[in-house]
Parts: sequence; structure tokens; C-alpha cells
Amino acid sequence: MIEIHLYGKLRRFTSSRAPTGDSIVRVPLEEGDTIADVLKRIGISLEEVGSNIFRNHKYSTLSRKVEEGDRLGVFPDDMQLLYKWYFQKEDDQG
Amino acid sequence: MSKILRVNMTDLTAKYEDVPEKYKNWGGRGLTSFITLEEVPPTCHPLGPNNKVTLAPGMVTGTPAPSSGRISVGGKSPLTGTIKETNAGTPFSQHLARLGIKAVVVEGQPKENGKFWLLKVDKEGAELLPADEYVGKGLYEVYPALFDRFGKKAAIMGIGVAGEMKMAMAGVCFNDIDGRPSRYSGRGGMGAVLGSKGLKFIVADDTGGPGVDIADKDLFDTGRKKLTEALRTHGVTKEGGGLNTYGTAVLINILNEAGGLPTRNFSSGEFEGASKISGEAIAEGVKQRGGAGTMGHPCHPGCIIQCSNIWPKPDGTEHVSVIEYESDWALGANCGIDDLDVIAELIWLCNDYGLDTIESGGTIAVAMEGGLAEFGDGQKAIELMHEIGKGTPLGRILGQGAAFTGKALGVVRVPGVKGQNMPAYAPRAIKGIGVTYATTPMGADHTAGYTIGPEIMSVGGKVDPLEVEGKAEISRNLQAATAFLDSTGYCLFTAFAIMDIPEGLEGMVETCNAVLGTKWTVDDVGEIGKEVLKRERAFNEAAGFTKADDRLPEFMYYEPLPPHNTVWDVPDEMLDQVWEL
Repeated sequence: MIEIHLYGKLRRFTSSRAPTGDSIVRVPLEEGDTIADVLKRIGISLEEVGSNIFRNHKYSTLSRKVEEGDRLGVFPDDMQLLYKWYFQKEDDQG
Repeated sequence: MSKILRVNMTDLTAKYEDVPEKYKNWGGRGLTSFITLEEVPPTCHPLGPNNKVTLAPGMVTGTPAPSSGRISVGGKSPLTGTIKETNAGTPFSQHLARLGIKAVVVEGQPKENGKFWLLKVDKEGAELLPADEYVGKGLYEVYPALFDRFGKKAAIMGIGVAGEMKMAMAGVCFNDIDGRPSRYSGRGGMGAVLGSKGLKFIVADDTGGPGVDIADKDLFDTGRKKLTEALRTHGVTKEGGGLNTYGTAVLINILNEAGGLPTRNFSSGEFEGASKISGEAIAEGVKQRGGAGTMGHPCHPGCIIQCSNIWPKPDGTEHVSVIEYESDWALGANCGIDDLDVIAELIWLCNDYGLDTIESGGTIAVAMEGGLAEFGDGQKAIELMHEIGKGTPLGRILGQGAAFTGKALGVVRVPGVKGQNMPAYAPRAIKGIGVTYATTPMGADHTAGYTIGPEIMSVGGKVDPLEVEGKAEISRNLQAATAFLDSTGYCLFTAFAIMDIPEGLEGMVETCNAVLGTKWTVDDVGEIGKEVLKRERAFNEAAGFTKADDRLPEFMYYEPLPPHNTVWDVPDEMLDQVWEL
């Protein structure tokens, strides 16, 4: 199981949507899951996802593999104060 | 032709002077730091007769250039003992510029202690009037009275009771677009320096003034359009973008996810109450409560980013403007407080008493660490703020800032550099900002080299916040770029757009050339900024500062910061490399 914290308009994918609280989805892990895989599985279109994605408080690419017990933080494209990705994210290539 | 207005508080005169050739192409921070280096003895007492306060609008302030209403306030800081430049966005800067004033230099000291004056500046000239009737009162009471007396068209610079009492965390207050006493050149205690000179207010009215000369109007329009287009396109600065929709406090949740939101006096990088004080929570509260609540509020006419807000009380009446990121964090997460109404009240008190919100929050957090209150106790924080405003013996200690308070209470965890408390980014989690905190001539200051851009917001570079490598160069370049930007009069937030969109930077430089008649290219920006940094550094060296002062507080070297559990590990040599200009 991993825990996904969603912000802004992505909160609608959770049952607790209050902007003043935590909007969390818990997702069972499948073999080889990446961040993109789990986001798609809960119905989030990757076009709505911006570039501020955090895995255990570290910047991560969408292709980063997730592990049991991970905590993801995902901000939508209109919230993360950027229009394209310049950032060196943590990925599986090191 | 623009002039320098020299205000001598010893003999109570205000005289116009021609602008010396060497100052002609400078504005804002570049000019305040230049004049400070030239005219202020670096070893002088900041509150003595030999310090001076210089106020300067930016190079293009007062023109139709977008988001360009910044004013710089400079001199020697009573908080840090270093040179200081602290800027704000306000109509006041535009009034000064349109009156043809390149800088106001306030010098000397009245022989009679405890008397205060008001400087009135308009197209007829400048004169000093007695201001004793306004002394000892809150700025929310005094500003409306001044607007009644001098007219709604005027703009006002003022100091509150904190400045009167010469507190090292007293800011310099300016009115916002609606006349509120809410836009601050907050950092470094420049309000205390004005207090030491007995100058309580400057009231400026540009009606009938000459306006700002533009040497090349066609070039100006070309540049202005390019920059405007960049600001209107970039995701950070455009209408409906991150800053406009959620305000600067959109960063609360982001920094919290990054593990870099300093919490309970920098003892954690993660705050469990973050979502309650986030930009989203502010936007939601404004929507739910309605009434006076506003998002996307501009601090001065001509701002197209509009990141300010007005926070309403539960009944919809106005509580305070503005809950911006730094204030929200300083008086919220850093004190363990997760209630926006309490934070709003603390900000209101800072505005009313004339205090820097960042240093105030930092001081209350250190006071909490020292046992004066529990972390999270909002009512006690409000009481401490009143102690400051009333000038009780405890308040006089707190009013000197976090470092002084830490000494008084025997607190080791005092997160400052050169006596100035750190702002809202944890340097153990975001190494680049720590390099800037350590090395900027200003004392711990996030705006001095905004490495948060590339590190967190992915603007203009590829950087990993937890990595050490390469941070000196990034910090140096950003400090130089920022020193240029702070001289133009443009808001620092234009940096997001101009670092990503080349035409935006081109346009910015073109507007400066058009006003000044210079021939700069975008490649000159860094060098112009470095000239500013060199002067500031020269002042500090002459004041006795060495590279040993360019360090973070010791506890950050041995105390790991959750959730990353990293310590400050940037080598000292790397910090020193920043100054290999």
C-alpha cells in the first residue's frame, strides 16, 4: 500500500476534498509500479499533473518506481508555479 | 531632469540636488547601496547621527512598465550591522519617481530627542512639518487620518511605534493600492533608523509632477510589450497562474512536501498543520466567507501578477491584507500555529505596530523555544506581540529580534545569519538557499538570490535541492541577477518569467535602456548586478565583517532536520567561492 497526497484540483480524486485538510488516496501496489502507473490507476490524467511530484519528500519523475510504504505528494499543473520541467528529478537511472 | 532630495534632520531642511554623473544610471538597490557606501561611515552606530536612510524608486518605476512599482530603502542596519537594502511594492515609489525624485537621502539627527516630523513632498517642493500628534498610535488609525489631511491621491511612507522605540525589527511601511498600511520594506530594522532621525512619515503627491523621462519611447514600448507578454504567458505569473490564484502561500504545501518548510523554530521541515494555512486554504476561506475577501489583489497600480490578498473575518469583514507566504509561515508554521485567523491577527498587529513579519515570527518562535510560550499557542503569541507594541521591558527585548531574544533567553537554536532571522526555506533541506543566506551582504535573506526558483519551482535551471555540488555558482549568479532586478524597480517575481522566456528578459533590459539612454544587453545584467554586490561587500568589510560571518548557525551543522534528516554540509570553502566575483 502506498499513500498519495493530492493538492488543488486533484483533490477531487479523493473522498476528503477540503482544501484545508489532507486529501489522501491509499493504493495497493502492483509489481513494477511507477508513479505514473498508480496515478493512472486512480483515474488521474497525466495531463492534469504538473511537475511538482514528490516521492518521500524528494522530487521525482513520473517514471520513478514506487515501493511499499511510499508517500507521494502530487500537485496539479495549475499549482506548481512552472510551465515546463527543468528540474533534475530523482529517477531510476540514478 | 530627476533630482536627489536631501533631508537633513539636524537642521530640519529638505533641499533638491542635481544627480551626480556616477549615480545617473542607477536606481533602487543599486542606488541605495551606492549612496550608503559613499556617504555612510561603515563603522558608525546604525542609530547615531552618521547613518543615513536612502529611499530610491527603481530605474523604470513610475512608467507604464508592468509590475515595476518597487522602492528600495537602504542604509546601515541596526539588526545586522551590515549594509541593508529592503524593498517593497507600493504606489509610493511611483509617486516619488513621477515627482522626478531619484532618491531621498535622510541624514543627521535632531538635537531634541522624542520629537517627530513629517516630510511633505509635492510639485511645489518639500517641507518638514511637526508629526507629534501621530506618535504612539497604531498605523491603522494614523494612515486614514493622513489621507484625510493630505488627500486620497497621496502616498505615504511611515514608521510605527516600533520604529519610534528604535526596535531592530521595525520595518518601513508603505500604503498599498487602497491606502492600507500594509506594504513593508520590512527587513533589517530600517524603521528604527528613521525613528532615530525623528522622521515619522513621508507624504508624497505626484499631482502635476513632471513624470518619468523616457529617452526612447519606441524602444520602451517594444520592451514593455515583450515583458508583459512573458508575464502573461508564464505559468507562475499569468492571470489564473499559481501566484494569482493562491497567492505566494501556494508555497506552503509545496515546501512542506519538499520537507523544507521550517517548523517550530527550524526543528523540522514538515508541519502537520500545513494544509490549514496553505494558499489553498486562504483561497477557500476567501471564497467561503466572501465579503471583503479578495484573491489576486495588486500591491500597486500596474502590477499584472497580482499575488496579494485580503483575508476576511468569519463575518466577511476585512481582517488583514496581506497573508503572504513569508508572513503566513513566520507567524504560522514557524510558531507551530495552524489557525489562519490567528495568523491574520498577528500580521495585522505587525502592520499596526510597524514590525517586520519575518523577524517577528522568528522572534516569537525563539521566545517559544526559550519557554515564554508553548509552540502552537496563538493567544500567547498575540500577547507577546502586544508586549512589543506597548514597549514593556519584555517587549523591548523581543523587539530587538530573534538573535537578541535568543541571547536573553539562553536559546542555542537561533536560526539567523549576521543577526537576521532566516525566512521560510529550510537550508538543511534546500542547500542552495543556505548558501545565499550565508553569503549575501544582507544577513539571512531569501530574496537576495532566489535559488528557490530552480530548486523548488523548476524555473531556469536544473538543480537538486539536497545536492551540495555547484551551489556556489548558482547562488553567485542569482545574487547578481537579483541585485540587478532590485535596481530596476521590477518585482522579484518577474524573475520566474524572464528566467524561462528569453524575450521577457530582453524586454526588461530594453525598458531600462529606453528610460536611462543606456545600451545594455542581456549579457550585461550579471556584471551590473556584481557591481552592486561588490559595493555592498566593500561596506561590510569596512564595517568589520569577514568570511567567518558568512556561515550558518552551528546547530544546523550537527542537528539533522526531519524528514530528510540531513545536516548543513556545504563546505566553508564553497561558501567563500561565492565571493570570487
